[in-house]
Amino acid sequence: MKIMEFLSSKAIIMDIKSSKKEDVMRELVDALINSSDIDKRSRNKIVDSLIARESLGSTAIGQGVAIPHTKCDCVQNLVAAFGLSKKGIDFDSLDGEPVNIFFLLIAPQDSAGPHLKALARISRLLKDKYFRDGLQECENEDAVIRIISQEDDKKI
Amino acid sequence: MALVKKKLVVKNKQGLHARPAALFVQVANKFESQITVRRDNEKVNGKSILGILMLGAESGSIIIIEADGNDAQLAVEELEKLINSEE
Repeated sequence: MKIMEFLSSKAIIMDIKSSKKEDVMRELVDALINSSDIDKRSRNKIVDSLIARESLGSTAIGQGVAIPHTKCDCVQNLVAAFGLSKKGIDFDSLDGEPVNIFFLLIAPQDSAGPHLKALARISRLLKDKYFRDGLQECENEDAVIRIISQEDDKKI
Repeated sequence: MALVKKKLVVKNKQGLHARPAALFVQVANKFESQITVRRDNEKVNGKSILGILMLGAESGSIIIIEADGNDAQLAVEELEKLINSEE
């Protein structure tokens, strides 16, 4: 599974404006609304379920990375937004460090497989420090897409 | 020092997704032993959540937990409970 198969190239935020956890998720969801990946009528429902998921344990898995995720019957396929934060955001991360890199995933309601594969795929790439550093050095959306596509082509 | 290995089948219906992976790592980190998890040809650090997620272990997949150290036996027993849980 390639990241660019589910990451919407129009849902990339170069510097997240929000500073609170919930607002950051709202901002990422809005990116998916702007990119027409999800309908704005589903906004509150999705944000609420993302918040509910976070209350079970933070998706900020350490090393400056968070993968907030949820399921929604409003999508047919897995969709994802990407966001960077230069200043870093307090996301109750497992290692206590602020988060700079966000992948927000929304999977169809009835699926377990694609969701898990996407998490595996994203984790594999983000485990690489050079990849994480590379993402943070990107200056525009095109650079983000280029660096992710390069990795997509490298490993399966 | 002891090396303890155990082959297990993932019971969680959703597989080792983010929440069980976080729990696994939390438990693994309570132990001094080095803990590795293998699935097929992939071998990852059992104390790293990115590592566990990377395995993409779905329900029914077979993983091997390996602990090396003084508390290896206990570590494997505790982790086995998690993997055997359906929640």
